[in-house]
Amino acid sequence: MADRSNVVGTVAGPGDDPNEFVFVTPSDKSIKTGEFITYTVSVEGEPRSVFARVTNRELIRGLPEGFLADPEVGPETVAATLGVPTDDTELYQLTATVIGYYDTNMTTFANPRQLPDPGTPLSIAPHQQLETVLPNLGCETDSTDITTLDGVAHIGWLLNRPAEATNLHIPIEEFASTHLAILASTGSGKSYTASVLIEEMMRPSSRASLLVFDPHGEYDTLAEMQGEEAFQGEDGYEPEIEYYDPERLRVRISELEIGDVMAILDNPSNRMQERLSTAWQAMQRQESRTWGIDELIGEMERIYGDDDASVGALEWRLRRSIERNDLFHPEENVPLDEIVDPGQCTVLQMDTLDRRDQQLITTVLLRRMYRERLDDVRDRDSDIEHPIFALFEEGHRFAPASGEAPSLGIMRTITSEGRKFGFGLGIISQRPSKIDQDVLSQCGTQISMQIKNPNDQDAIKNSVEAAGEDVLRELPGLTPGQAVVSGDAMNTPALIQVRQRRTPHGAGSRPVIEEWREAYDERQREPTQSESADFGEGDSTGVQSLD
Amino acid sequence: MTDTPPDGESPDIDSCVRIGSIVSSNSHLDYVVEVYKERDCDRPPELHEREFGQPVFIKKTVNGTEHAVIGVIYDTQLVDPDQGRTGPRLAQDDQAQFTPGYIEERTTLAGVALLGTAEIAEDGAVQEPTHQMPRWTLEVEDTVFHCPDQVTVSFHTIDEQIQLAYMDRLLDIAGDLGSEVIVALIDRLRGVLPEDDPNHRVLDVVEQNVQWQAREQRGLV
Ligand SMILES: Nc1ncnc2c1ncn2[C@@H]1O[C@H](COP(=O)(O)OP(=O)(O)OP(=O)(O)O)[C@@H](O)[C@H]1O
Ligand SMILES: [Mg+2]
Repeated sequence: MADRSNVVGTVAGPGDDPNEFVFVTPSDKSIKTGEFITYTVSVEGEPRSVFARVTNRELIRGLPEGFLADPEVGPETVAATLGVPTDDTELYQLTATVIGYYDTNMTTFANPRQLPDPGTPLSIAPHQQLETVLPNLGCETDSTDITTLDGVAHIGWLLNRPAEATNLHIPIEEFASTHLAILASTGSGKSYTASVLIEEMMRPSSRASLLVFDPHGEYDTLAEMQGEEAFQGEDGYEPEIEYYDPERLRVRISELEIGDVMAILDNPSNRMQERLSTAWQAMQRQESRTWGIDELIGEMERIYGDDDASVGALEWRLRRSIERNDLFHPEENVPLDEIVDPGQCTVLQMDTLDRRDQQLITTVLLRRMYRERLDDVRDRDSDIEHPIFALFEEGHRFAPASGEAPSLGIMRTITSEGRKFGFGLGIISQRPSKIDQDVLSQCGTQISMQIKNPNDQDAIKNSVEAAGEDVLRELPGLTPGQAVVSGDAMNTPALIQVRQRRTPHGAGSRPVIEEWREAYDERQREPTQSESADFGEGDSTGVQSLD
Repeated sequence: MTDTPPDGESPDIDSCVRIGSIVSSNSHLDYVVEVYKERDCDRPPELHEREFGQPVFIKKTVNGTEHAVIGVIYDTQLVDPDQGRTGPRLAQDDQAQFTPGYIEERTTLAGVALLGTAEIAEDGAVQEPTHQMPRWTLEVEDTVFHCPDQVTVSFHTIDEQIQLAYMDRLLDIAGDLGSEVIVALIDRLRGVLPEDDPNHRVLDVVEQNVQWQAREQRGLV
């Protein structure tokens, strides 16, 4: 311990918690909360680097607050007047929580169950070591060049360190199989972060099969990956970005379950519900998978007679809600082999669909894909013979805590069972408290960004057991692009700055003033036109999804 | 403050009023001064010239340079040798300060705490003030002079800024009346500084701090 040149502080003694210790640093070694420090202990005769996270920082010696009484008189002036030296006066006491040493057999942290002795010198944890041990990469040494690993996503770097100094690469397999949640208030960088991950997953070293359910058209710029060198493989690989606009989104009527149909219909009476279920089940038992409303009504009339009042009322409702909605079709279906393929990212653009239709297309697609994955794993014929990952913007819309979405059931099934069948979900939401708790708590990896709303903070606390209290405390203060990554993809949570995208970001705020002026000029040019401005289908805007 | 010289000119250190002479000391920085009466000199100090908080100085020639050792009256005491003849103690028993020895006649004693030193230039002005602890010992019978306000300001002006860098030592010596001496010194400085001098605000903060600390110590707040 002769060389103390990289020592930043000295252990003073144990802290309040069994895993905590306090240490003291002078002011020039400015160590921020969230910083990772190390010290050496001997575990079974071998020296081990133990990592600890700084959780609190307090001034224990400094100029008295009384010196700050007059804002126009600097405290150092008052100090000089009294002959108090102002260099090196400040001493800080910091609290740190022991994370553990990296156990190369278990490839994760092990708690040494022993706090450092008072006087133990502490250093800042070296970059490469942190890069190796923070994410759950399963490295066999505690210092590996992780840029040589395959299947990792470079998501950003530690926030407390200079840009790109300590980079965080998370294992794609981990978050893609045990599900991912990206949670943050609006404008904090959820879509941006998701796009960074998509970029990483589409690189030649991973070639993922991705599906993005995009209710706001925020992923239009991903196509620019094509032609970019960073995404090209030596074997000629290049990611395929496929956009599916609402024109091509179709739900074959026979794919709907009776619960879905009930959700579409306006307040059907009990008698109507009973008739519809009976007829629907009868239709489902038929050989043909391509029947429409006509056939369904024919079936009801066959069972209940031509002049049954309830059947008449149902016919009116079914024709209005299903037959006249272009989304539903007796035969057409979204061909699964077109939307999922390795090395392909399909963006389902749902921005012109209303919320109910978004939920229905999602429900039906998820069910079909889940069935195919099940078949594949069970060695039956399958249209999808590889794992898939589906990302949901406005996740609370598809798996709402209120339970009112036909898609909730299949979302719950996939989040709880999908891991076995190679079907991962990514849930993005600005309202974690509005997401079904079962779904949210099954998301093994969490990326939490700025969240101010206390209910949403609680939702994260309750469902994200991996993120400790001390890390969650940071959430309200984060700025766009800053995030806490926790869960299965990490050995311990870390506060990071998400890296810049390689492709441009397509989901910025609208240039409101510019658009007003343009719209006004437009008006001036066409004075006779009196049609009101089209603000889009009300139901598909983000504002309404808030509740 | 009758002897403030005309503006801009340094007062002549040689023509200052004599306040008294040293009779004993309690420590290196804490002296007891017997105040002159009619019989002791031509012009004994008037009451306001030896008041509580009055800066004083003692001349010392060190290595051929004339210095002023600056102090302040932080306490006073009346002695009547006919009363008990035991040699009174002003301070409480556990505080071994300001305990003058045996005195012959009725007299007024002043406690003087040393603050620092300055050089006395040829023209009688003070220069190179320092608030470091004076290293020299004063002698019994050394004359203690009244320190004019202008000299007081010069002594407190270091690097163009008002300083009271002796403060912690003074608080220590002056004990219970420590904050009052400092407030008295600050008032005196304020009275001499031009109205728009930026040091006023700094002195306000210092005064607030000292008074607050004293109130805290006395259990008021
Ligand atoms: N890692 C980052 N680096 C640089 N800028 C970023 C980063 N993350 C976010 N931003 C900035 O923040 C803005 C908002 O990000 P983003 O569109 O991802 O927010 P959001 O959370 O998806 O919001 P919404 O809820 O409205 O969809 C972006 O336009 C971008 O300018
Ligand atoms: Mg977004």
